[in-house]
Amino acid sequence: MSVSLEWKKVKRTGFLPAFFGGGTLAAIVPIINMAVRPERYLNQQGSPVQILLDANWQMMAMLNVLLIVAGTCLLYHTEYADNAMQKLKSLPVRESSVFLGKAVLTILMSFFVLVIEAVAVAFCTFHWFGIEKGFFSELCRCFGYSLLLMLPCVILSLLISEACKNMWVSLGIGVVCVFTATMLPTTNFVLSLFPFAMPFQVFAGADVAKSMHYIYGAIAELAVCSLAQLLFVKVRRGFE
Amino acid sequence: MSLLTLVGVEVGKIRRSKILLILAAAAVILWIPSILNAELNFGMQAEGISPENNFFIQGFMGMAWFMFPASMVVGTVLLSQTERANKGILKMLALPVSTARLCIAKFVVLLSLAATQILMMTGMYYISAVISSGTQDYSFVLPPLFVLREISLIFLSAIPMIAFFWMLSVCIQTPVFSIGIGLASIVPSVLLINTKVWFAYPMSYPLFVITSEYGKLAANLDTAQVELIPWIPVATLIAILCLGISCLRFGQAERR
Repeated sequence: MSVSLEWKKVKRTGFLPAFFGGGTLAAIVPIINMAVRPERYLNQQGSPVQILLDANWQMMAMLNVLLIVAGTCLLYHTEYADNAMQKLKSLPVRESSVFLGKAVLTILMSFFVLVIEAVAVAFCTFHWFGIEKGFFSELCRCFGYSLLLMLPCVILSLLISEACKNMWVSLGIGVVCVFTATMLPTTNFVLSLFPFAMPFQVFAGADVAKSMHYIYGAIAELAVCSLAQLLFVKVRRGFE
Repeated sequence: MSLLTLVGVEVGKIRRSKILLILAAAAVILWIPSILNAELNFGMQAEGISPENNFFIQGFMGMAWFMFPASMVVGTVLLSQTERANKGILKMLALPVSTARLCIAKFVVLLSLAATQILMMTGMYYISAVISSGTQDYSFVLPPLFVLREISLIFLSAIPMIAFFWMLSVCIQTPVFSIGIGLASIVPSVLLINTKVWFAYPMSYPLFVITSEYGKLAANLDTAQVELIPWIPVATLIAILCLGISCLRFGQAERR
C-alpha cells in the first residue's frame, strides 16, 4: 500500500529515470574498459566475473552510492519542499511506515540498477571471455552480496534525509560520508564496516569467511539503523 | 542595485544554512588520515618527493578529486533550493533587478564558497602539518607563499567547473537530475586526466592541475604537464558559455 503510494509520488520527480540513467552509466564502465584495453584483462588469472569486478567495481560502486545518496535526498525533499510533511504527520499513518515505503522503493530501484550492471558484466564475459559452466550462479552470488551490502547505505542515507529538513544539508552530509568512505583503508575490517564504505566490497575472490563477516555486519547495521529510525521519530515528535 | 549589494544580499540569505559546517567537516575528515599515516611520507624515495611536499600534495589531491567538486554541487543545491521553498525566488524576480545580475551575484557567492572551502583546507593543512611535525619529529610545514600559489592555482582552475555546475542547477529544474549529473560527472575525471582531451572536460581541471604539480615536485615521476595553449582558451570559452547560458535561463522556468 504505502510502497505504491510512494511510487506515485516519485512519478514526476525524475527519480526513476535518474536510477535508470545512473545504472546505465555504471554499466557502461566495464564495457568501455574492456573495449579500450582488453589485452590488460584477458591474460589475468581467475574467473571473468572476478577480473571484471576487480577492475571496475570501485567506480561502479561509487556511482551506485552517489545515486543512492541523491535519490534518498530527493525522496524526503519532495515531502519537505512544500510542507507536505506536516500534512503527512496529521494523517493516520505512522512516520515509520512512510519511511519503510520509501526504503522498499529505494531498495527495489537499487536492485534494478544492480540488474542492469549484472547484464553488462554478463555481456562483457560473453563477448570477451566466453561463458563457462557455473558463470550465472557466480554472477547472482556476487550481485546478491552487493545488494545486501548496499542496504545499510540505503537505510542510513534515508535516515539522514529524514532528519534534515533542507536538501543541501542531507546531500552535504551524504557527500561527506561518501568521501569518508573513499578515504577509509580497505584493509581494516572495522573501518570498512562503515555503511557508506560497504558497497565498495567485492564478493568474487574474497574468501568466504570474510564475506560472511561482512554479511553479519550488514545485518547488524540494518537492525541498528532501523531501531535508530524508530527512536528518532519518537524523539522528534516529542520536541515538535 | 549594484552587483556588490546583490552579493551581500545573497550572502545574507545563506547565513543560517549550516553550509560552512559541512565544508568544515569535510576539511577535518580529509586531514585526519594524513595525520595518522604521517610516517608513510618518509617512504617516497621511488618518486623522489620530499616528505613535506608529499604530505601537502596528497591531501590536496584527495580534496581536488572528489570532495571539492562535490561540495560545489551541494553549494549549487543550496543556492537554488533556499529560494524555491515558499517561492522566494518569485519575489526576487518581481523586484526591479536585472536577472542576469542576480544570476552573476549567486555565482559570485558560489565562488566565495569555493574559496572558503579551499581556505579551510589550507587552515586544516597547517594545523595537521604542525601536529604531524610534533609526532614525527620532522618539519612538515611548507612556506606560506608556496602554499598560496598552489591553492590559487586550484581555485582558478576550478572556475569553469563551478560555472558548469551552476549552469546545470539553473537550467535543470528537477533537482535529482542536476545533482545526479553533477555528481556523476566527477567520477570519470580520474580517468580523463590521463587522456589527451582532458582540457575539454572542466570537471578534471583541479585534479589535473594538482597532479601536474605533483609531477613537478616529484623528481622521478613523469605526469602530464599543463599545456596552456589549448587549455586556457577552451577553459575560458567553457566558463563564458556556461555563465552566459545560465544568465539567459535564470528565472525562465518561474516566469512561464
